[in-house]
Amino acid sequence: MKRTAWHDHDWLLIHTAPQSPTLHMALDEVLTREVGAGRRPPTLRIWEWASPAVVIGRFQSLRNEVDMDAAQRHGIEVVRRISGGGAMFIEPGNTITYSIYAPLSLIKDLSFQQAYAFMDAWVIEALGELGIKAWYQPLNDITSEGGKIAGAAQAHRGGAVLHHVTMAYDIDAAKMLEVLRIGREKLSDKGTTSAAKRVDPLRSQTGLPREAVIERMVATFRRLHGLGDGALRMDELTQAGTLAQSRFGSREWTADVA
Amino acid sequence: MHGEYKMPGGKLVVIDLTVREGRLADVQLSGDFFLEPDSALEAINRALEGQPALAGEAALATAIKQGLPPDVMMYGLSPEAIAVAVHRALQAGHAA
Repeated sequence: MKRTAWHDHDWLLIHTAPQSPTLHMALDEVLTREVGAGRRPPTLRIWEWASPAVVIGRFQSLRNEVDMDAAQRHGIEVVRRISGGGAMFIEPGNTITYSIYAPLSLIKDLSFQQAYAFMDAWVIEALGELGIKAWYQPLNDITSEGGKIAGAAQAHRGGAVLHHVTMAYDIDAAKMLEVLRIGREKLSDKGTTSAAKRVDPLRSQTGLPREAVIERMVATFRRLHGLGDGALRMDELTQAGTLAQSRFGSREWTADVA
Repeated sequence: MHGEYKMPGGKLVVIDLTVREGRLADVQLSGDFFLEPDSALEAINRALEGQPALAGEAALATAIKQGLPPDVMMYGLSPEAIAVAVHRALQAGHAA
């Protein structure tokens, strides 16, 4: 396998109507596999959330990370994703989440640390164009003078790499702390103080609506790497729908690390 | 018993376990690290299961390495860091 460059691939964009948390988990699995098998071109997918969720990392303990009573009280679904990393607190509109599905050749011979920074170099550039001086903070964070902006996670599956990122646009910190069991140390890591009511690095530093930030990010990706408009295939959506029910919606998977 | 260790330059490594007849039991590794393939998590739990509770960190790290699949990849995690978390869990248990 030879190392490939961004421009060796014909990138496609998927940005659909809001979808359920379990379907998002399943789409990451299905699309990574499809790109790995060569049945789908490398793809950038922008997520839109139909409902609130806590998304825990593949290896996180459900009971150590989530206050299930608080999650239920707020009507927040708890799901587990296929990549490692930390928990995310999602309410529609409070974050910007995207996935990149690429052949492993794109990051061949890179260390993990290099691969994370490499996959998000376009975002650092996009943030710069939006007036935010941002940089990669190993192992897997994008940060700025105004604090942490995003966390990334990668997973390898059958010849492809999934690289997905959640960026804080405007998060209700009080509600997040009710639902996630985050220690004080972790909170300071997220670039906020215990007194902060909101974690809003993207909103406060750009002054732009979330949709406008996404538009600018997509434009930067398109300019740097090339990007055509794509859509989910019906068979991909069917597979993902089945997986969302049978696996990602199951207690067995969510509590796999109890 | 519960032990946590933030690996320097790495991620949070968490161990939950009990001790039965002087040996580690019901060992559960968790945390916000990265591990490929994901089945390696169970391999690590199995490698620690039954180890003497008095084993040193070096011996625990060796047991973990021997239990890992050959193609394993760790990011923000190491056998040594897991061994530290095990020891912290055992110490917390003694204190309780």
